[in-house]
Formats: sequence, C-alpha cells, structure tokens
Amino acid sequence: MSHWKIALMIAANLALGALPAGCSDKPAKPAPLKELLVKRVSADLSKADPGAAYWAQASGGDVSLLAQPMVSPRPEKATTSTLSVQAVHDGQRIAFRLRWKDPERSEAGRLGEFSDALALEFPLQDGPLPPVMMGAKGMPVHLFHWRAQYQRDHEKGKPTIAQLYPNVSIDMYPMEFKDAKGGTEAQAEAFSPGRAEGNPQSYSKTGVDEIVAEGFSTSSVLEGHGSLAHGDWKDGEWSLVIVRPLAIDGGSKLAVGGKGNVAFAVWQGGEGEVGSRKSLTMAWTPVIVQ
Amino acid sequence: MSKVKNWQLGREVEYPYDESRPKRQWAIIFDLNKCIACQTCTLACKTTWTSGKGQEYMFWNNVETKPWGGYPLAWDLRILEKLGRQDWGKNGEYLGKTLIEAAPPTERVLHYAPTDEDWMYPNVGEDDCAGAPVDSGGHVQKLPHDEWMFYLPRTCAHCTYPACLAACPRKAIYKREEDGIVLIDQSRCKGYGECVRACPYKKSMYNPYTRTSEKCVGCYPAVEEGIQPQCVVNCIGKIRVMGFINPPWKAREDNPIDYLVHKKKIALPYYPQLGLEPNIYYIPPIHADPEYLHQMFGPRVDDAIQAYKQLVDDPVAAGLLCLMGSSDRILHRFAVEKGVAIGYDADGAEIVRVPVTEAIYERSAFDAGRGAARHNTP
Repeated sequence: MSHWKIALMIAANLALGALPAGCSDKPAKPAPLKELLVKRVSADLSKADPGAAYWAQASGGDVSLLAQPMVSPRPEKATTSTLSVQAVHDGQRIAFRLRWKDPERSEAGRLGEFSDALALEFPLQDGPLPPVMMGAKGMPVHLFHWRAQYQRDHEKGKPTIAQLYPNVSIDMYPMEFKDAKGGTEAQAEAFSPGRAEGNPQSYSKTGVDEIVAEGFSTSSVLEGHGSLAHGDWKDGEWSLVIVRPLAIDGGSKLAVGGKGNVAFAVWQGGEGEVGSRKSLTMAWTPVIVQ
Repeated sequence: MSKVKNWQLGREVEYPYDESRPKRQWAIIFDLNKCIACQTCTLACKTTWTSGKGQEYMFWNNVETKPWGGYPLAWDLRILEKLGRQDWGKNGEYLGKTLIEAAPPTERVLHYAPTDEDWMYPNVGEDDCAGAPVDSGGHVQKLPHDEWMFYLPRTCAHCTYPACLAACPRKAIYKREEDGIVLIDQSRCKGYGECVRACPYKKSMYNPYTRTSEKCVGCYPAVEEGIQPQCVVNCIGKIRVMGFINPPWKAREDNPIDYLVHKKKIALPYYPQLGLEPNIYYIPPIHADPEYLHQMFGPRVDDAIQAYKQLVDDPVAAGLLCLMGSSDRILHRFAVEKGVAIGYDADGAEIVRVPVTEAIYERSAFDAGRGAARHNTP
C-alpha cells in the first residue's frame, strides 16, 4: 500500500471519528480512557447485570492492553488488545462493566482447557502507587479475579467428574461406594489433596476471587468481601460486570468524591492463557468517584 | 539465569535459580534387564496415592514398553524432536542445548503440552517389538537382539534442576532440603498446568477435580521413617533400590546408589541431555538396540552394559544386587563380607543380611525315612 493511500485512510478515519454521534448509525467509538468517571446511579447494584439500563448513561472508554511483558511464561502477542470499561456506583458499591472480543467462550474443566478471565486491580494502601504489574513488597495490590469457570461454579455448581467426562465409569472412590455405606466427608476429602489442604482453587467459587499480591508469584486468595460478578458471552464478545464494595476494611478503598486507581488484565482461555499468560494494561487508570 | 553444575552432562547448564543441592538426594535405581512389566509398582502407587477423584488416569508410577509405548503418548519423541540435535563430545560432555537453554524468550522451559487424550492410553504399545520383522526369527541368536523391546518403569525423577519447579509462576513447587524430593504445594497450586507442560518426563499431572497439579511425592512419609517408596518395596522382581545419591565429587563407595552409579557406572540417568539432572537411574537392557539406548542414556551406555555383563565376577557388586529388594528399609551403607551382603541404616545399624550365592541342597528322589517320593510339585 502506498503512502498516500495510508494517509487518505487516516484522514478518513479522523473525519469519521470527528462526526457527532447522531450523524452515524453506529455509536461513536469511545475515546481512549484517560480517567474513569464513576457516576452515582439510583439502581440496585446488589446484582451484577451487564444488560441493565443504567449502563447506557454510564461514562467510560477504551483501554489498550499489551501482552504481559515482564515475566515468562508470557504470550507472544496480545490476544486482547482493547477493553471497553464503564463504571457506576450507588454510594455503597461500585460496578464495572467490561467488554472485550473473544471468539469463543471458554470455561476450563479438563486438562489443557483454560477459562476466559478478567481481573481488576487496585492499590491496597494509600500513598505511592505500587508497580502496576502485581505490586511489590510493601506495596500490595488488591485484585478481583473473575473467571468464566468460577461463574459456572456459582451458577451451576462445581462440575463433577461425570460432568467433565460424560462417559466415565467408576466402580468406587475411597470412602464413597456405590452399594455400601462410605466414610465421612472428611475421610473422603483426605483423598483429594487440594481439598484436604483447604486450597480455595479446589472448592466451588462465588464467581469472583479476591486476591492480594505483593509482586510476581505472591498472589493469595482472600476471604471475599461480598464482591460479585456476572458475564454474558454473545457473538464473540464478553460483557462482564464486577461489583465490589467501595470501601473494604483491610482492603482497597474507594470513596464518594474521592480518587482511586484501577488496572486491568484479560485472559483468553481458548488461547491457552492462564496465570502469567495474559493481556494487561501497562499503567494505572485514575478512577474518580463522583 | 544462573549457571549451575550438571555432572551428568559434564558442564554447567542454565537454570533460573542458583545451585542448591539438598543434604541428601532421593534416588532410585532400576535394573531394566529384570523388569517384566507386571505393573505391581504401578498398582502399589495407585492404591496408595491416586485413587481419588480426578486421579482416574493418573499413574505417578507407570511401566511402558519401549520403543512404542509412552504415557502420555509419545512424550519422549515429542520433546526430543522439539529439542533438535543432541550431540555429545568425545569426553562425554554434552554439546547440545538443554530444555532451559533452548527455551524461547517467552518461556522458561522448552516444552510441549500433552492433551487430555494423551494420558488415556497408559498401556499403548505394550509388548510391541521393534527392529526386524517378528517372523524373521533369530532374536535370541545374539546380543543385542534384532527384534527387541524393553520395559521402562518410571516415577518422578526428583530432578536436581526440576523443570516443573522452574516453570511454576506461583513458586508453588519446592525441592526439600532434607531429601531432595520435589513437591507441589497443594495449598498454593492454582492448576495453571505450567509444570504439566514443562516436565519433559511428564510426571506432573492435572487433577480436574481439585483443579491443582499433582505429582509423585517420592513416598516422603515413608522416606522420613527410613522406609523405601511403595513402588520399590512392592517390586516382585526386586529390580529396584531406593537410596540417596551423592554428586560424583562426594561419592561414597559404600553407599549402594553411589556404588552402582559412580563407582561401577552401570546405572545411568535417562535422557540426561534434557538438562535437569534426573535422579532415577537405569541399568540399561543388554539386548536392546544400541542406537536407541544411546539416545536414551547417552554415550556411556556401552560401557555400562559391558560393566553389567562382568558383574558375575564381582562379588561386591553381585552382593549389592542381592540386597536390592531384600529389605523395605533404606540402605545407607552396604558391605560384602565372606559371601554375605549386609545393609545398614543411617545410624550404621544392620538392617539385612543375605547370602551372595544361595546354598544348594541336593536330596535323593526318595525319602526313605518317610517312605515317600520327593517331587517338586505340590
């Protein structure tokens, strides 16, 4: 393609972008998000609802994501390059609506299957901003990690082996027999190390995990503080709402009339993304709670 | 990236963490000339450790037929092919790259990711022969055989430089200082499966019920009590011995593992070129294809086979082989005196005593005292 053609296309794009929204059938493409204004709504935010009417008036914009560049293993390219962000609050809770392109819905389950996921990150303490990628020692971050897999747990229950492998045939598990009385639940659990150790990963999820981290390799799941999430996947796009309390004792705090910061990460399970294989924002986005 | 000493390759290799050898290093030696793939080890392990939900196809110990068998499917071929040429120098030093050295910039370890289906055929290729057509005959005419196969029992190698540990972004995998056993912290693992991808021997496995990865624990509760792992003590062929190996510069001749690996040099690590310093060692099968054995065990395999063939004239080595499978306790030291092999525990107390050559009793076919014929059938 010659230079003048490229120049012409750029000019045309600029012209289209400058048109008032009312002049086009398509809604105007939101400007890149510099800061996130969070308006108060008088709606019930005790449910995460990506289709709620108040989102039509909520402010927001797009943030750009890059392939996580700092630690291996890492993706070679960003599988999610743009994330549309909006947020509202009701004085007690703040809800984020997040939309991104993903050609397939992935919920994980068997080996080698990974879940679509998104995380919101907040500085856990006041003061200097922690490094945006997972914080640092003494500069913790507070994460809200939604997975399609966790949502499935919450809405349909944690899948059983028979649900994951419909043709499975099992005579018995230790302490769980078909035709005889088995042992206690605790005795049976002893044969599932993750559960016996109380690993949160081995138990049914509520949809969104709260996590605290002080640098790479340090993330730990916290007792939840009533945050919730629901995402809908349709036509190659996720529309997800994560709701969290504005202020969390011992956690990150946002306040009406105050400022905060947020960062984002997205995983495409269908591309084998999990853990450090993710797309993320490389800077904090200021949050202004009006 | 640190430079660490890998004695199996005769050079330094790259590793993400500094060299930190444990006080003792868990190790098993397998005599592949004796394994009959009865799978008693597999079942001993399975019933002890992996009978729970999500472990239906999980075999921390497995026995596969070489060259066609593999659990998961073709694990060895797939990683060897990915690694490319693996040349050795004239002095036994490795000239190629290890899996850590060959990793692309975005990865910690060169790897392939097995699929779920790859784990579902643990007995694939069992008893299948390689070499000349089976109907050509002659496979017992000479060594090595024209038609050949052998059984390869495998556990986690509790590597000195584990790929699983290197690959875990959560640092949920650790190597115990007291015995070198490599464990996945079941309270921290999040089931990312990086260790399942990274371990070239494919001995980290994913449990879809607990949503964590799990692996051979070296029977550490037994080892802590001075007892060998389940797969070892249940081996009916007495082909295995578990003990503690020292690096060659600290080798002790009266340590059973050091003796067979360092002194006699008849037991070799498998696929050492992958660079992890694995700690399961094999006495190679004397009848199998030499080129295949070279690929699997490196350039010292011919000498190992020669040394093995000469053991019959070596009362000390023969005595040690008699001690294999003679006690469930861990042998820290052994001695052979006057035709008797003796094993000792960590405190120097005697555990077991066996004759190197069993006594032979000849009796007449007719027992005159009882007025009955003696015969060998019940």
